[in-house]
Amino acid sequence: MGVVHGQEMVLNIGPQHPATHGVLRLQVKTDGEVISEITPYLGYLHRCFEKHCENVTYEQVIPFTDRCDYLASMTMNFGYVVAVEKLMDIKVNDRVQHIRVIMAELQRIASHLLATGVFGLDLGAFTPFLHMLRDRERIIDLFEMTCGARLLYNYMWVGGLSHDLPKGFVEATLNFLDYFEPKIDEFENLLGHNKIFVERTADIGIMPAEVAINFGVTGPNLRASGVNWDLRKDDPYSIYDKFDFNVPVGQGIKGTVGDSWDRFYVRLQEIRESVKIVRQAIDQLPKDGDVHQSMPKKIRPPKGSIYSRTESPRGDLGYYIESDGSDTPSRLKMRSPAFTALGVLDEIAGGWLMSDVLAILGSLDIVLGEIDR
Amino acid sequence: MSEDIQVLIDDVVAKALAGDMDPINNIEDRVTRSKAKAALVKAKRSQPETEIKSKDSEVSEHSDVKAKDTIEHIVIASLTKNFSNFLDGEQNGEWIQMKPENWFDIAKHLKENEDLYFDSLQCNTGFDLEGGMLESRYNLHSMKHLHAIEIRIKVSIENPNIPSVESLWRVADWFERETYDMFGINFTGHRDLRRILLPEDWEGWPLRKNYEEQETYHGIVVPKVKEGWE
Repeated sequence: MGVVHGQEMVLNIGPQHPATHGVLRLQVKTDGEVISEITPYLGYLHRCFEKHCENVTYEQVIPFTDRCDYLASMTMNFGYVVAVEKLMDIKVNDRVQHIRVIMAELQRIASHLLATGVFGLDLGAFTPFLHMLRDRERIIDLFEMTCGARLLYNYMWVGGLSHDLPKGFVEATLNFLDYFEPKIDEFENLLGHNKIFVERTADIGIMPAEVAINFGVTGPNLRASGVNWDLRKDDPYSIYDKFDFNVPVGQGIKGTVGDSWDRFYVRLQEIRESVKIVRQAIDQLPKDGDVHQSMPKKIRPPKGSIYSRTESPRGDLGYYIESDGSDTPSRLKMRSPAFTALGVLDEIAGGWLMSDVLAILGSLDIVLGEIDR
Repeated sequence: MSEDIQVLIDDVVAKALAGDMDPINNIEDRVTRSKAKAALVKAKRSQPETEIKSKDSEVSEHSDVKAKDTIEHIVIASLTKNFSNFLDGEQNGEWIQMKPENWFDIAKHLKENEDLYFDSLQCNTGFDLEGGMLESRYNLHSMKHLHAIEIRIKVSIENPNIPSVESLWRVADWFERETYDMFGINFTGHRDLRRILLPEDWEGWPLRKNYEEQETYHGIVVPKVKEGWE
């Protein structure tokens, strides 16, 4: 456990490396197998999101938000439209709100399935990954049924949605949930209680609560450190205050609070909670209501600025929008949750072994598209 | 985990619960230190009266204060007691416009004062005001008291120096690097102010309104944005 100062070596992990989840370069200083310092180099996927936004109208920004976090496009759309609607003071009807919540929570399930599956894959567990992708595929089929797209949806628009729910969507979703719910226990047994997986993740990469808060880590990573903080509960947006669900926090069941296993387990528990929310939202879904009802003809927010946060699968997704009264944003900044989660890597992964660093990186669930924007 | 480390952790956790955080912070090995801190959180949670987040009681305690005055007024009143001449021009009540000079000490006060306790820096946004001024905007939030403010600091484009706050909120490390990268605002006292998203040899500050792309980059012609681009 102690750091031995021998001859240090500088190694690059990435930019092309399967365990970095995208194009990321980690420059690590190693002493044998022990990592003493990690310097991430970002920007390989930088696509000038914020600069582009200053040249397009408010509607045209939505497809760009899709492409930032391509594994959770619905929640990226959601965060943006919530921000613009707050700026313009638009109220949307109940049907739209319910459909948005259904989509966002299905997206959260899909994103967490991929996150936990790929985390297992990083550690060499191939089978759970296939099981999880199989079920994620069924969620993506539901999205395809709704708006035609499988990955980048452009579904939520300012003041409404691009399409209403298609015929048979509610039945298909309920069928899926009935099929899916028992599978969550299967995943938990398959991966969470697997001896090799526990040995590789429990007590590894511990993130204490005050470190997490100071480094701006949010979402499941923060909750795994034992902090009960979820914007859906603590600063409710849309209609999340109508639903009954729990906020799972890390308890250190297999090791210490805030270790890599807790980060995995919190995500798995969140899938259960999301299933609960989708069921309630479908149950309460109003029969009528035009999804284009509150859509403004021309989006010209009044002069002013807003910082609005929503809970994406990766944490607090913030949009800072400054409007000068025209139909293009004068400045749009996205506060990306994965960006801050990667920032903590050096703090929590220094001192561990090389193989543990990849486990810790996998447990943080980063998406490079959103980090580099 | 070997036994003597466990003994050490138990020892420092007991001391920290008694109010002395130094032994934990003095542990050399960062892995042991983080384990000890995690053990401390666990120990604190098992004592309900010293819970880290006792949100409900905090809110009710402060709700009467909030009802009387907005958070901006409370912050300004608290700062006026300790600092002088920090406000920059007229205040409009939606945000606080400050001068850059003693921003670090003010930020320290905002973070450490018990009644304000802005423990989380949500967002740092650069902004080009045109007319030769740049602005750095900070969105602060308190996870204890559940209040939030926005602070804006204006600097001239010729001398864009703002004290860095990354040693207070470590999240500001990368936020400030990004703002530096895009606007060229120089955060003095930052431990490692480099470009973060763009290559290190890129020229210019892309999010300034008058930005023009460089002609070539490593011999490659940089395509210009066309007129009427859609």
